[in-house]
Amino acid sequence: MEFPRKTFWTVVTMFGMVAGLEYVPELRNYRLLDWDAVKQVGDFAPSRAMPLEPVEEAVLKPGRVYEKKVVKGQVEPLSDPANSLAAFYEAIERVESGEPGAKVRLAHYGDSPTTADLITADVRGLLQKRFGDAGHGFYLMAKPWAWYGHRGVDSDSSGWDIEASNLVSKKDGYYGYGGVSFRGGPGSRARFRLKEAGTTRVELGFKQVAGGGSIVLEACGERVGDKSTAGEEGDGYAEFAVPESCRDLTVKVEGGAVRLYGIEFLKAAPGVVYDSLGLNGAYISVLSKFLNADHWQTQLQHYAPDVVVINYGTNESVFAAFVDKVFEKELREAIRRIRVALPGKGILVMSPMDRGERNENGQIETVPALQRLVEIEARVAKEEGVAFFNTFEAMGGNGTMAKWYSSEPRLVGADFIHPMPGGAKIIGNLLYKAMLDGYNRYKTAKRAPELAQNL
Amino acid sequence: MLNTSSAYFVFLAGVFICYWAAARWRLPTLAVVLGANYFFYARWDLFYLTLIPLASLVDYLCGMGMQASKRNWWRRILLGLSLTTNLGILVAFKYMPGWDKNWPWVFPLGLSFYCFQALSYTIDVYRRDAKATSSLLAYFTAVSFFPAILAGPITRVSNLIPQLEKPKKLSASDGGRALFLIGLGAMKKLLVADYLAENLVNRIFDFPKLYSGLEVLAAVYGYALQLYFDFSGYSDIALGSALLLGLKIPQNFNMPYAATNIAEFWRRWHISLSSWLRDYVYFSFPGLRGKVMPYVALTLTMVIGGFWHGATWNFIIWGALHGLGLAVCRGWQSWRGTSKWDHPVSRALACFWTVQFVCLGWVFFRASSLENALEILGQVGSLTWSAANLSGTILLIAGIALAGHYAPKKWLDASETLFARTPFFAQAVLLLLLALSIKYVAATGSAPFVYTQF
Repeated sequence: MEFPRKTFWTVVTMFGMVAGLEYVPELRNYRLLDWDAVKQVGDFAPSRAMPLEPVEEAVLKPGRVYEKKVVKGQVEPLSDPANSLAAFYEAIERVESGEPGAKVRLAHYGDSPTTADLITADVRGLLQKRFGDAGHGFYLMAKPWAWYGHRGVDSDSSGWDIEASNLVSKKDGYYGYGGVSFRGGPGSRARFRLKEAGTTRVELGFKQVAGGGSIVLEACGERVGDKSTAGEEGDGYAEFAVPESCRDLTVKVEGGAVRLYGIEFLKAAPGVVYDSLGLNGAYISVLSKFLNADHWQTQLQHYAPDVVVINYGTNESVFAAFVDKVFEKELREAIRRIRVALPGKGILVMSPMDRGERNENGQIETVPALQRLVEIEARVAKEEGVAFFNTFEAMGGNGTMAKWYSSEPRLVGADFIHPMPGGAKIIGNLLYKAMLDGYNRYKTAKRAPELAQNL
Repeated sequence: MLNTSSAYFVFLAGVFICYWAAARWRLPTLAVVLGANYFFYARWDLFYLTLIPLASLVDYLCGMGMQASKRNWWRRILLGLSLTTNLGILVAFKYMPGWDKNWPWVFPLGLSFYCFQALSYTIDVYRRDAKATSSLLAYFTAVSFFPAILAGPITRVSNLIPQLEKPKKLSASDGGRALFLIGLGAMKKLLVADYLAENLVNRIFDFPKLYSGLEVLAAVYGYALQLYFDFSGYSDIALGSALLLGLKIPQNFNMPYAATNIAEFWRRWHISLSSWLRDYVYFSFPGLRGKVMPYVALTLTMVIGGFWHGATWNFIIWGALHGLGLAVCRGWQSWRGTSKWDHPVSRALACFWTVQFVCLGWVFFRASSLENALEILGQVGSLTWSAANLSGTILLIAGIALAGHYAPKKWLDASETLFARTPFFAQAVLLLLLALSIKYVAATGSAPFVYTQF
């Protein structure tokens, strides 16, 4: 046996130099050793220090997230000092009391998570479970992106020329309630398969123009009716009654040129309709600029949501100049437009989730402008007298995506932006509980105002 | 303790010094390695200090019993006992519902690699391909050898025991080669695999529908590179760590994406697993001299290999794809003879199509679910061409990875030799520079090795 001297000296010299980096002050910027990790050499059960807690339990367990007491100075996720959601709560109350035909409708405008119906599907499901299901609500005619999709609806389509308000270079502003329009001709078709039966009424939104075209609706292969889109220029709607048991619906263009916006699915029962209106890569300008003000106003008035959720900020957060100079002005304009369209109805500004990026040391941290953007949203909401839901703080605030990324199962994708279904469920639960909390306060205030002051 | 962590390198340096200080004497040397093995296990959980010695004792006694007995029925019973013990551990901790909730700390250690190594010993002894060792200490040491326990290479115990028993020697060139392999492995894993995983593959596989067909295709190819650099990086570190102790464990990779057919691919990819499956699963099928059975056995062997990776449809489809590919390849070669591919263009084309087939399999291998795999394939088929998310750095790293994979082996051997000849202080400086570049270029930290999941 011969002692391997050369290798030994290589190892010793290498570790000596590494130690030198630790202890020579001038070289401290080049430190290599992770002392915490080295100390762990003697830690015999490190893996147990990482609890693997199922997401749902963490959220739904009483006392874990929501039923914590709000102490002075702590951020409350949903703030509505001006009581702007009163009309929304009134509508819920009518539904809850079983008023015939009562419906409460929410319009949730957002970006990529909303376009995939993440978060919104969870809130929709929870609200409909609690207050009744009045139908799926609005759905685009076709998938503008592969990512588009709603829980409970499958669709496929062909023959459409798709224009998304935030993506087309020449914007004419006519993109309907959902922000996207679909031009088609003879042969264009869209097929929808609903997961559940019960839909009794279907309505198509379109742009009415001279000449126009003809659209047909089929339910389970049977022709239900048709509608011409010809007429004086403006918004048009085609309403059809469909058999309650039928889950397969097809829209076809029979002749001429049409420009459709989307389809809505409604049930006869009282309950909640939650419209998920997301556009990939969208930002606040969709509502403040890209949609023609008059057109969007009539669209909002037609669908008549009781509350409009403005949920932007993630895409803006990496453009610091936009956040600092433009965002506030555009947010105020979006609020103003909704107010004009829906006086007396609720407006809820919902902040973006945390968004992470790697810093130069490889750690995941919140993008710098995000917190400023959330502060702007909170301030504008307060000054404009609309409600504000602080998603960012409710989910844990600064650095949450780093925690979500290392949790098991992972709650956010590797882009540190898009939540995995488990993460979306957490946010959905938080928003639902905040709404329910607000509703309970509203009811309490109505019945016992003296108690409400203490809540 | 991942093999790319600071903790591991400190641990390895300590083992290296203790080992060579004791190398003059047999028992202390074995005790150092066994102590290191069990220390390594205990770092994951103290539970292993009960499980592994007990399982090892069963296999050791089975081996001794089979060696001593000439009665076939008794030898079969002992083999059955060993199979039941090891497969029982695998089934209990890998496939039983709820294991991950009740014992989330168990599987990261790669118990399946332990079980494969243990089984190779008892099956070899049963088949009389190897002699059972009478040394309990040598057996315990070899079967739980720490460098390869997380993710292989699957080391035949019967090959390792004689190395542990004979006098130890580490030449300066082997020492240099060991350090070179460790450095190369860390570089492959931390500079290439982790970068591609974090910045390309994971993002796109998480949400394929957010990206164009071209970007998703790039992620599939990126994953092929990531997996190779991750797994071969781990193997290099394992080989280097073993070599530091004067022990040689098998090579696991040999430029796999240069294969011109799927059979050649499996002779170049995860060689220790493919040869294990061949020797202990494929050759266990009856009727291999028939006309049809070899094809059935090939397919089933690969399906079993897929199932070993995980009890999901994705892995079973991946295994079945490779099994069918191997069967078709074998059938073709029986019919038309082995293709020579003398012309560089035809060789390149054969290589290209083999890589496409392998990448198709990787989609199922990497996707989080069957639905996710179909989404990825659907998105590739969408024929959308945006490349907005393929940054210059990603393309540069992928290009370096490709060049690194296809670089002639003699270049690598020459670098290894050159490093081994370099004076010790220069070796130390080179390793330090590598560590610094890894720290400051790779911005992601060390992710777990892909193959520790299996």
